[in-house]
Amino acid sequence: MLKHTNYLTKVYGVKDGHTLAVYEREAQGYQAAKKVLTSMTREQVVDEAKKANIRGRGGAGFPMGVKWSFMRPHATKPAYLVLNADEGEPGTHKDRTLMEENPHSVIEGCIIGCYGIGAHVAYIYVRDELHLSKARLEAAIEEARAKGYLGKTPFGKAYPVDVHVHTGAGAYICGEETSLLNSLEGRRGEPRLKPPFPAQVGAFGCPTTVNNLETIGIVPSAFLMGCEEFSKLSALHAINDGGVRLYGVNGHVKKPCVVELAVGPTLRELVYDVGGGVLGDKPLWAIIPGGSSTPVLRADELVHAPDEKSPLHEYHGKSILDVPLGVDTARGLGTMLGTCCITVMAEGTSPVAAMQNLMQFYRHESCGQCTPCREGSGWLVRICDKLMAGTATMAELDTLHSVANNIMGNTICAFGEGTAMPALGFLKKFRKDFEAYVRDSQAGKRATLVVEGESFLPPSANAGAQAAE
Amino acid sequence: MPTFKLDGKTIPFEAGDSIIRAAEKAGVEIPHYCYHAGLSSPANCRMCLVEILPAANQRAMMLDIVEWDEKLGDYKAVRKPKLQPSCQFMATEGQEVLAETSTHVIEARAGVQEFLLLNHPVDCPICDQAGECKLQDYWLEHQKTPKRMHDEPVHKPKAVSFGDTIVYDAERCVMCTRCIRFMDEVAKDPVLDMRERGNLKEVIVAPGRKLEGHYTLMTEHVCPVGALTSKDFRFKARVWFLKTAKTVCQGCATGCNAHFDYDPRSNKALRYRPRDNEAVNKYWMCDEGMLSYRDVTSNRVPGALVGGKPVKLDRALEDAKKRFGSVQKSSIAFVLSAKHSLEDNLALFELAELCASRALYVTGAPDGYSDDILIHADKNSNTAGVKNLAPEAKSFADLLADASAGKVTHVIALGGAAPTEEVTALGRLEGLVTIAAHEGPITGAAHVVLPAAAWIESSGTFVNAKGMRQLAEKGTEPLGASEPGWKLVGKLAVAIGVEPSWTTLKDVRSMLVATSVPPPEPPSAEASAE
Repeated sequence: MLKHTNYLTKVYGVKDGHTLAVYEREAQGYQAAKKVLTSMTREQVVDEAKKANIRGRGGAGFPMGVKWSFMRPHATKPAYLVLNADEGEPGTHKDRTLMEENPHSVIEGCIIGCYGIGAHVAYIYVRDELHLSKARLEAAIEEARAKGYLGKTPFGKAYPVDVHVHTGAGAYICGEETSLLNSLEGRRGEPRLKPPFPAQVGAFGCPTTVNNLETIGIVPSAFLMGCEEFSKLSALHAINDGGVRLYGVNGHVKKPCVVELAVGPTLRELVYDVGGGVLGDKPLWAIIPGGSSTPVLRADELVHAPDEKSPLHEYHGKSILDVPLGVDTARGLGTMLGTCCITVMAEGTSPVAAMQNLMQFYRHESCGQCTPCREGSGWLVRICDKLMAGTATMAELDTLHSVANNIMGNTICAFGEGTAMPALGFLKKFRKDFEAYVRDSQAGKRATLVVEGESFLPPSANAGAQAAE
Repeated sequence: MPTFKLDGKTIPFEAGDSIIRAAEKAGVEIPHYCYHAGLSSPANCRMCLVEILPAANQRAMMLDIVEWDEKLGDYKAVRKPKLQPSCQFMATEGQEVLAETSTHVIEARAGVQEFLLLNHPVDCPICDQAGECKLQDYWLEHQKTPKRMHDEPVHKPKAVSFGDTIVYDAERCVMCTRCIRFMDEVAKDPVLDMRERGNLKEVIVAPGRKLEGHYTLMTEHVCPVGALTSKDFRFKARVWFLKTAKTVCQGCATGCNAHFDYDPRSNKALRYRPRDNEAVNKYWMCDEGMLSYRDVTSNRVPGALVGGKPVKLDRALEDAKKRFGSVQKSSIAFVLSAKHSLEDNLALFELAELCASRALYVTGAPDGYSDDILIHADKNSNTAGVKNLAPEAKSFADLLADASAGKVTHVIALGGAAPTEEVTALGRLEGLVTIAAHEGPITGAAHVVLPAAAWIESSGTFVNAKGMRQLAEKGTEPLGASEPGWKLVGKLAVAIGVEPSWTTLKDVRSMLVATSVPPPEPPSAEASAE
């Protein structure tokens, strides 16, 4: 069910909305942090956070409160909060709006997060290319410091908190939390082996919680209204997927945008009500639900959930476009919610070109540390390239899934799955199209990823306007 | 001892053992590239993946993959369990691990092996690793499928010089990072690292540096494939023609266990490789030690010398007889050598006993560079052995003093080495015979030099600085006219009119048992790393 909210986006599009003055005036800025620091114990903060049912916004959907509860005070070592703002997943563009339009919600979230996990320092790891994001975050930190919200005694409480912005060099793999920690420490951005998990051995060898930026950004809103109340805003509160989050719509839609919605809109609502419909009013063909790593869904798929215990049972036999979108419901559809930014594809899009496009990305971004991902991602591209060039054989097409199978689960980090899942998704759902590219050597030359003659509405019709609705 | 099950077989383990380590100790090899018992485990090659069965109250983590169904004419959704790297996973009591008995593991290994060869040049005929390459071994054992990728492979830098000793070929590299970890963790000089990403990755030397120091050759040795090759060994031999002797490095008092590789057809020494011994050198050797296989030929005494001129051995023994035959036997001084085996030293010691001489001295090479990794300041391989054999033996400085003072006039010595180059006092001696494999200050001053076999040309025993008695096997045949030192001592004894109490190596060894030298170490563990 589509329910627009404006907890995070209230100051989006407002003049000087990124400043402390506007944040305090319009969004009860820093009231949540004040309440938490002056009236709650650390344990209470974690218990309360669990009630918010905030599922990690970075893609994996792990419950934030539970992650916080893994942090145990260490006898000698400090703890750290690290915010992952290395938003690099193709088709994902939500964290950037938050950093640019509402950086203070992030800083306030850091204060609460640090207090909750027993840290005194938070690092925000931002992609290098996001210059405005970094500038806005740094300005927000300065303002908060000047007011004393960050520093030795925030809100009169002797609990020092500081926040630092750290610049990454723009490698996708640094969005993987342990890679990010390596990069933060000045090492090569390559994933670490787990265990130990960051809660035991994280940044600089100290206990660390790594949260997505949006996850922390929504924390002040949740604490301000009461975490249980916050969770109930969601249509999926009953299956522990609470609150509101940023949804993105991109691809072949008339109005690509980022909007804030209560958790649980359907894909149909996102495409037609939020995205303004498919470009050129073409039929909807396929959707990648949450960043390029999540397996693609065909628009004509039906829900298959004969099991009465399944959260999707009530939608059994219905169109997948009418399922409320949450972490567990998306999993039930055989894909993942991921970052909640859907990529819409109109009829006429080439699945082979789409897969080639994605595989090029994964080949380029594989850190190369472990064998299956390093070599497998390159092999997948080669075959896709040959399919597009019209030189692939049926034997090579039949190799694709076995290459992806051999990457799946056999790597150090989830990047392997992130490469294999979309590859297998495209193959499984569009095998006949792939075969056509083997038979017809000219098919690749006709393949397209765009809707000819159509373009998006101008940016002014985008995010800000949506939020104001 | 706690145990776990690997393919149904009970494997004991100690706390802190990974699954692969425990299996290795039990003599079961789990295939691997990046894992090395002496280094940290990065779990990056993914060759050692195993299936760990979930405990009774747990469920296995399953992954969605697809299979092609011929009948259906479509993909069929299937699931496979998440496999774990056995080099990273610690062994735990009662755990059930599947390797050879899991189709998932067998498939994963074949997959990794195929990936590793995907962009590999497969240039085995011109590769020095051929014959001892894991890619070769594992292709046969774990893949055996024909090549499925027929396009031009990725090209990367080849024949990159990393320094004075090592050449790198990025196309052959499997990115296991063993060389990087060795330099960082063991040599304590993190001069190697990676550059680029994905399948363009390559190992590099830190800008402005070269791969240097005392442990560069080890990077080649830990390399499981032909990516790093040693400039010294490149294009010299096919390893399958070589024979190997288990020996002990003679470079210093550490006594690193080594494999000595030589070509039996030409009697040519080719290289040293470390031989694993947890108690001595673990898995390592230093560059100086590794290159000291060359001592088989360099600076050798290939035949007998009289007054510096080459002569037949008989002629040299006659000369010795002339100089020593009429001398009071008990007045002859004997010089043991810390660079010779216990067998040679014992023979000379025995001769001194037979001559009823109490004038014992000891010589050896001067001290040199040392570190806290392997290299000992004492550059002699048997200092402790000689000290045990003849604790009363006086120093080489005492010998020089006694010679100057005329207290010593006739000397029978072992070896050419001396702790000092300044040996003019030896010129005052009326008779100096030395039994030496290598030239040195003593051979320079000697009237008669008898050509001894080098350490690798005859089996010998050496006691290292830790007091461990280690046996070194015979490798190459003696150079020129040289003969084992203990045998020459016997011949010399006869020449000067003493009947030796030994004729065979077995005789010498049985005398050795009676000495105060510590009992032999149990044979070194051969398992572990390669």
